[in-house]
Amino acid sequence: MTFHKAKKVVIIAEKMLSNKICEIIDASGARGYTVVPAGGKGGHHRHFTSERASVVDDFSTVRIEVIVNDKSIAEGIGNKVVEDCFGNYSGIVYLEDVEILRPAKFNGE
Amino acid sequence: MDFLADFFLRFIEQFQSPTLGFLIGGMLVAALGSKLKIPNAIYQFIVFMLLMKIGLNGGIEIREANLLAMALPAVFSILIGLAVVRVGITVFSLLPGVNKQDGIATAGLFGAVSASTLAVAIVMLEEESIAFEAWAPALYPFMDIPALILAIVMANIHLKKQEKENGEGKEKEKETKVNVWQIIKESLRGSALSALLLGLALGLLTNSESVLTSFYEPLFKGFLSILMLIMGMEAYDRIKELRSVAHWYAIYAAVAPLIHGLIAFTLGYIAHLLVGFSPGGVIILSVIASSNSDISGPPTLRAGIPSANPSSYIGASTSVGTPVAIAVGIPLFIALAQIVFDI
Repeated sequence: MTFHKAKKVVIIAEKMLSNKICEIIDASGARGYTVVPAGGKGGHHRHFTSERASVVDDFSTVRIEVIVNDKSIAEGIGNKVVEDCFGNYSGIVYLEDVEILRPAKFNGE
Repeated sequence: MDFLADFFLRFIEQFQSPTLGFLIGGMLVAALGSKLKIPNAIYQFIVFMLLMKIGLNGGIEIREANLLAMALPAVFSILIGLAVVRVGITVFSLLPGVNKQDGIATAGLFGAVSASTLAVAIVMLEEESIAFEAWAPALYPFMDIPALILAIVMANIHLKKQEKENGEGKEKEKETKVNVWQIIKESLRGSALSALLLGLALGLLTNSESVLTSFYEPLFKGFLSILMLIMGMEAYDRIKELRSVAHWYAIYAAVAPLIHGLIAFTLGYIAHLLVGFSPGGVIILSVIASSNSDISGPPTLRAGIPSANPSSYIGASTSVGTPVAIAVGIPLFIALAQIVFDI
């Protein structure tokens, strides 16, 4: 099997934004994404991981990963997330080069 | 002098309650850097358990209650919720170095209601065997929702005004329109209120006495003690955040719960004279007023007033406001009621 070059967009954002971000990803034409709980420290304050009880759970962070074949789609997702969500909420977006198997799984061709 | 001495003794007595002990213990453990962790899932389950029990209990007793008696306290709850937020916003606008949006969000959070504080009050009233109307905890949403709505509406009005001054109002006009129905829906769907309302409905419509007495009742106090431990740990952790915002938040958070509670006590006393609202009910109303939301309020405000800095309002509520409402407020109102109503 051959590996194909693709782009991965990684978004780390407050949990309460995850629905909105996933809608952006769905609208972009990507076929799927992965959401995992995150934690750590950002420019504003520490975000706890989910292993510890937190009275306000919605401020914990999530890491949303989406892989697409096309670089312009990846950039489109990143830009839209920053424009729509990160005006008032904290979060980061970055792209990574990845190599994938079965490229047909990633965006409709 | 006798009055004061008596009051003080009763006040001190409340500190021996195990509930407060766990709260202080949690702070102490966190301060000493303990690795003790209680998983988040357990915290969420405990909140559900406590509110389900309060709801079931209320629902069962509402069956025989005269609901007309609830009307006046419910109206008072709405008024208190709105007044607390309105006064809070004015207070913050007079203080130097306070961001307007942060001030509005903080006032909103202090007008809203804390489910855990309510649960503590119920246990402490049971320990003192002070009777209260079982529907009194159902006053919660009457204060909680109007307070959050008023804060979000005020914040958006302010934001619009600011944008107009900056000449960029037109583009954003559509986005800043407040959807009140959306806020009500979100509040009712929140984990705390959902559990409370579901409990009320189940208590009212089903024969839920057996599950209440065999499962929810016996576990109530034990779970509450764990909840207090978690809240103590969280309170200590959040103090660090509070250091990074203006000190006015800490001062407001320490004083406001007691003033709000005393206003509610006065209104509750009026309801006592007019419609025979019980002394326990007056205490519950005072506690609801003095409490500041910790579970459902912060996410609602974060979504409704995104430009406010969450560190300011969550720090103020979790690390100062809630411990003050629980450790000082509840004993104060119980002691006050014991003297005023001679119970």
